[in-house]
Amino acid sequence: MEQRHAERLLQAGCERGADFVELFQEETRHTSLSYANNRVETATSVTRYGVGIRLLFGTDVLYTQTSRDDESHVLRLIDAVCAVREPTIGSGARSRRHAIDWRSPDLEPRHPVVLDPRGVGPERRLDVLRRADRAARSVSHRVSQVNARTEDVVSEILVCNSEGLWAADTRTRCRFHVTVTAEGGGEMFEAREAPGAQQGFEFFDELDVEALAHEAAERAVRLVSAGYVTGGQMPVVVGNGFGGVIFHEACGHLLETEGVRHKASVFAARLGEQIAHAEVTAVDDGTLPGSWGSVRMDDEGMPARTTVLIKAGVLQTYLSDRLGAQQTGVPRSGNGRRESYRHAPVSRMCNTYIAAGLHTPAAVIASVDNGLYAKKMGGGSVNPATGEFNFAVEEAYRIRHGRVAELVRGASLIGQGETILPRISMVGDDLAFAAGMCGASSGHVPVTVGQPTIRVDEILVGGR
Amino acid sequence: MSAATALTLAEAVDVVAREARRAGSDRFDIEADESDRLGLDVFAGQVTKTDVSSLRGLSIRLFRGRRPGCARTERLTVDALRRTVTEASAQATLADEADLDLPEPAALPAVDLQVDDPTLDFVSLAQMKALALHVEAAAFEVDPRVENLPYLRVSRNRRSSIVCNSNGVLYQSRQGSTTAGVGAVARYGQIRKMGIDTRGGRAFDYDAASMARRAVERAVELLDATPLASGVYPVVLSHRVSPQLFGLFASPFFAEAVHEGRSRLQGQIGRAIAVPEIAIVCDPLTPRAAGSYLFDSEGVPARTVHVVRDGVLQTYLSTLASARATGVPPTGTGSRDESGAITTRLANYQVGKGVRRLDDLLAAYSRCLYVVQLEGTAACSAVSGEISIGAQGFMYERGRRTRPVDRVTINTNFFDLLHRIRGLSDTYSDAFGNVFVPDVLVDGVHVSG
Repeated sequence: MEQRHAERLLQAGCERGADFVELFQEETRHTSLSYANNRVETATSVTRYGVGIRLLFGTDVLYTQTSRDDESHVLRLIDAVCAVREPTIGSGARSRRHAIDWRSPDLEPRHPVVLDPRGVGPERRLDVLRRADRAARSVSHRVSQVNARTEDVVSEILVCNSEGLWAADTRTRCRFHVTVTAEGGGEMFEAREAPGAQQGFEFFDELDVEALAHEAAERAVRLVSAGYVTGGQMPVVVGNGFGGVIFHEACGHLLETEGVRHKASVFAARLGEQIAHAEVTAVDDGTLPGSWGSVRMDDEGMPARTTVLIKAGVLQTYLSDRLGAQQTGVPRSGNGRRESYRHAPVSRMCNTYIAAGLHTPAAVIASVDNGLYAKKMGGGSVNPATGEFNFAVEEAYRIRHGRVAELVRGASLIGQGETILPRISMVGDDLAFAAGMCGASSGHVPVTVGQPTIRVDEILVGGR
Repeated sequence: MSAATALTLAEAVDVVAREARRAGSDRFDIEADESDRLGLDVFAGQVTKTDVSSLRGLSIRLFRGRRPGCARTERLTVDALRRTVTEASAQATLADEADLDLPEPAALPAVDLQVDDPTLDFVSLAQMKALALHVEAAAFEVDPRVENLPYLRVSRNRRSSIVCNSNGVLYQSRQGSTTAGVGAVARYGQIRKMGIDTRGGRAFDYDAASMARRAVERAVELLDATPLASGVYPVVLSHRVSPQLFGLFASPFFAEAVHEGRSRLQGQIGRAIAVPEIAIVCDPLTPRAAGSYLFDSEGVPARTVHVVRDGVLQTYLSTLASARATGVPPTGTGSRDESGAITTRLANYQVGKGVRRLDDLLAAYSRCLYVVQLEGTAACSAVSGEISIGAQGFMYERGRRTRPVDRVTINTNFFDLLHRIRGLSDTYSDAFGNVFVPDVLVDGVHVSG
């Protein structure tokens, strides 16, 4: 979009009384290839294009979005979205008449792209998928299906606003998915791996596809012979990497200003309080080079940064977007994120993790006499207003007398965010990260979760 | 017209059909859609978010020989549409052959679905605001323990679509709907519970007071809940949560999942997969329902599909390709996802009602757990059938409610559950949904607390 065109649209918002007007333009190309039944099942290519305009009247948000960018159409939408406003409200930027003095943020090139996926032929993607299929099927005759998929996304983003910000960015992400189904005794089980990175197509070249497919296949096959877990309250050791989803859901969402400003978080008004065990330090870091959840700038045009959320158990700050910072009084943390132009940005996590502690994973497991080892977590969700969360455990083992015992299936973990943090009593030294997608009011955004092996003293394990 | 000018939906369809033929494809289908939405959120007496959207998109599946390639764009200019056809064509060179025949033009069912109420064009943000403020004020009056209403949203949506193919199929549709939802948080001491009431329909006629009352009652009634001792219990799944559970486990009924080897219902057509009281029907021809339509995204006319009758599996829900791959007839349940690929949709998926009243189900055993909230679905697998999920509800003893229950999980397997159903109520939830299931009594459910 040309600056003079953007300026006219921003000016139109100011003239209707908005204190702040922001324009978000996006063109995203998404390519996906999926392979199952030893054949290409779907090959798709999507172009997402549109403009989102946000008008702030104090802390009230007016948002309009469209896949058409012709000026008269966008101006009609601005009028439509302003229709509900009282004519006297909002006046901060109304008087603007002078040309906007544009400035661009200094964005560090943290996520270099060696090979733009838009220039890579489909055969190379197919090669990745066939290798995964072969590797998974070689594990066992019980492997009945392998679904493998590559996806690559290149987004051209522009954020500009009535304060003169003009920030453009290109985001390139690649992800590999493999889901393996194993059968036995009339039952079916699935296991999956899905690494991703903010990289070009070199991501696939550097990936050990065979090892990932092997890992998923072996786990699926193991589950066929697993017995059910006995449910109840017990200590749980949560494995590293994707185990970080427990912090993401149980606590991370509750530390976003979007919930805090609506008084819909149990951690509202608790800055400076000891909310977690002293072993716990938690960080959100949007700057990790090449990480799936990283951003050079957030979707409000603010450069990414590192935010210590909890230090030695004490709540330091919240994750904020522009509005959240304004309403809660914390500094902006560069966490205003959205799935696409179809969503107004709100505070969201980037790469969120519990920092490494001092214990070896073996010592953490050895500390439990009778409990559960949640080696690999599945997904989860939380109700921020009540703090009630739940998680799936994809691979779990009983712990007996400090040793990992039999594999069990059917485990879930449920609890309440406020009560779980003080129960994380041991933190391992094996910090690892994993990619995921996080859904909330501004859509699904790529995030990384991370943690070392941790011990939770007591949590409800769903089972039989 | 310049190559960069935005086109109307019909113009865009014409351009893409022409470009597909020019690219050497004599078989293709196209779906173009346009939607507009008005919506707002209210919090603490103020409209905190207003949303106006105007979105368009076009998807094409074209064949090179029998190889399909799919592409979608939201940019409806000649340049962008040409590029989309080129991309679909490139994807087709990579795909394996798909065995399917595109439909010929046919008469659509002569049913008035009543899904396009023209008065919805006149529903304004001001009306939505008035409704939301009324709901908010009413909620605080219902009970002094109401602390907050973090979720209060009203919207109006309209969608138009065109489906056409290279055989001459050309269908158009237009639908409108509205939704209104409220989430109330009640607090007692350190305990907070949230109750939600979400309404929807083909008109804009909501009773603010009853919405507020339902949401608050659902929050307050669980405030002094306690866990339950672990054990095996009969469970009644309220019709508020049974659609959620049956919806989660709908995909094993999809021919697509059967073809991919990810359904335990593979090879089960003609066999009893549930107790004889179970009938499952997909009926896109139900007037005013959320999942109603006259033709699907592949241009197949809609029809009523009996999926399970007397507990016996009759067929799978299919797309053209998955029907051919699994040997079942197409069911007119094809849909296009955001990538432009064809998938299967649920269309007013109904588990048939029983003849018993809810009270009868709750009194059927000396004690049972009545589940009114499910928490999270991540530990439920449609492939294995495993269900391990947080639940909240009430303990019933000899048909009388004795106490609220939370911090428990229920654990069973969906395919076993279908054989352990001991009763169905005579009532569906009145929420505006695409899945209808009455209250369901199941025995032998493991509960951990």
